Amino acid sequence: MAEVVFDEASRIYTPGATPAVDKLSLTVNDGELVVLVGPSGSGKSTALRMLAGLEPIDAGHLRIDGRDVVDVASKDRDIAMVFQSYALYPSKTVRDNMAFPLKMRGMDKAEQTKRVNEAAEILGLTEYLDRKPKALSGGQRQRVAMGRAIVREPRVFLMDEPLSNLDAKMRVQTRAQIAGLQNRLDVTTVYVTHDQVEAMTMGDRVAVLRDGKLQQYATPSELYDRPVNAFVAGFIGSPAMNLMDLRRSGDGVSLGGSTVPLTREVADAAGSAETVTVGVRPEDLSLTSDGDGIKAVVDVVEELGSESYLYAHMAEHPDTTLVVRGPGRTSVRYGETIGVRVDPDAIHAFDASSGERLAA
Amino acid sequence: MTSTLERPPAPSGPPPAPGQTPTRSARAEGWVRRAPLLPALVFTIIVTQIPFLLTIFYSLQSWNLVRPGSQQFVWFDNYVSVFQDSQFRGVALNTVIMTLGSVLIAVVLGLVLALLLNRHFIGRGIVRTLLVTPFLITPVAAALLWKTTLLDPTYGLINFVLSPFGVGEEAWISDFPLASVMVALIWQWTPFMMLLLLAGLQSMPTDQIEAARMDGAGAWAIFRELTLPHLRRFIELGTVLGAIYLVNTFDAVYMITQGGPGTASANLPFYIYQRAFLGFDIGQSAAMGVVVVVMTIIVATFALRLVFRSFGAAEGSN
Repeated sequence: MAEVVFDEASRIYTPGATPAVDKLSLTVNDGELVVLVGPSGSGKSTALRMLAGLEPIDAGHLRIDGRDVVDVASKDRDIAMVFQSYALYPSKTVRDNMAFPLKMRGMDKAEQTKRVNEAAEILGLTEYLDRKPKALSGGQRQRVAMGRAIVREPRVFLMDEPLSNLDAKMRVQTRAQIAGLQNRLDVTTVYVTHDQVEAMTMGDRVAVLRDGKLQQYATPSELYDRPVNAFVAGFIGSPAMNLMDLRRSGDGVSLGGSTVPLTREVADAAGSAETVTVGVRPEDLSLTSDGDGIKAVVDVVEELGSESYLYAHMAEHPDTTLVVRGPGRTSVRYGETIGVRVDPDAIHAFDASSGERLAA
Repeated sequence: MTSTLERPPAPSGPPPAPGQTPTRSARAEGWVRRAPLLPALVFTIIVTQIPFLLTIFYSLQSWNLVRPGSQQFVWFDNYVSVFQDSQFRGVALNTVIMTLGSVLIAVVLGLVLALLLNRHFIGRGIVRTLLVTPFLITPVAAALLWKTTLLDPTYGLINFVLSPFGVGEEAWISDFPLASVMVALIWQWTPFMMLLLLAGLQSMPTDQIEAARMDGAGAWAIFRELTLPHLRRFIELGTVLGAIYLVNTFDAVYMITQGGPGTASANLPFYIYQRAFLGFDIGQSAAMGVVVVVMTIIVATFALRLVFRSFGAAEGSN
């Protein structure tokens, strides 16, 4: 139970170089699950390790429940962490692994046993309690790591890519388990991942980082609907949003020979700029039945059953590529020319040089 | 690692039908696999097993080189007198003390040094090199250094350093002969243990230590709960290897004390050498040699099994 506040917290590995985490400011409310997401090198893991006390905080503040913890050792922060590698203690049984944080806190044996048994029950580990970690499967090890974190009822959970060592099916299953467990325990949780799908599905709020800087901190739907810049727009969503630098023409921008209108606010915000970065999600592009609209040549067809994605390049500008969402059963094949229509209301427009969103 | 020690599984073909000769081809294949090992095997037999058989043969005779013509077959008389020889028992005890004492103290000191060297500090490379140096010195030279330069009652550096504390001309080697030999051995073997344990420490995953820190463990708890269990197999390996080498110690005993006073600091190799080459009692010393070999084989079998088991079991982890 705690509120976590990053207040311009920075981590600078080598003085003078780009900080690994640059003046990060964000607030995690009590009981909230916040996901830090970004490409590798974005500083998301470093930010988590700063909160864990495993990396020093070189500038700024970090508060848990209003108390500045910059100089507090990790063992005194009352935080539990699930590591990417799980970091189970190989010489101890599952039971002793899970009881370790309790033992270190000097809890009496009976209480330790009770808590470990409860956690094992929740995680379905009861029959494995006497095994060593090496005799467990990847998913079971992951659950032991979770168990070790939940037995002590910490103020904050940290999870550093806890699913990345699991296979795809297990990952989806465990993702739901973790989200459910977090809801049930109602413990403030900070979760790091590079996988935007994980971020969107699990987070109450999601913080997108890039090069150590916070890009946007919002709910998943807001990130999806109103990305603040072209980076967030391109990072969130799968397949990624189509981002194209387009030339202005009249009230709109020209795309594949036709003009796509821009709203008045966007046009005003763009001012006299000659090009605008336009983003359109694959589902906001539709195939025309009669082949008019923007002409594109299909390179790859991905059929997923419920829907299909057509990767295509523009007939007139082969350098400009598009991803279009089509129906589940599509007759379109490689090399065909398709007509694409843009939903003008669904356009995201960004400044071509800074990448910032145009208009609110 | 263990796979090289285990016999490869037998080829599991269908059982040979009667009348055919697949056994011959299987046998040929077995020999193809064994043939490259034969030269080494033959060489090993020549240099170890033939002398051993000869030693057994000598041990059944009463044969003293000082009395020509005294050679005669006496069956197990030599063994009886070996076990009745109180000096032999005293020397055997010395050997156990010298071997185990030196190894265990060297492991503890090596562990302390390895823990210190596992931290980052300026000049770590130089310190590490200096600490390894004793292991690189020829054992005879090291023993001589301890005897003349360090432990000498008149000119020794130890007495010089201790003189402000009221230690006069202490004759370390005559007063503490066994301990003096052991000090030299420990000095030489601590670096070996240190290197082995340092390798062990550096193979320890840092995330486990980080996890333990978050779980509320202090430095001592991390050492006791995680580091020591992780180092266990390295400690076992160091102990067994050190014991195998140190049980054969000859140079340090010969150089520092000559086994004396009396047999106070003699170990089995030195005592057997004395009986064979100073007493010229071939029969007796051969019998002692056989007894020592048999005991060593028994101890080494258990010790090596322990080491291979703990390293073999560790393979499945991670």
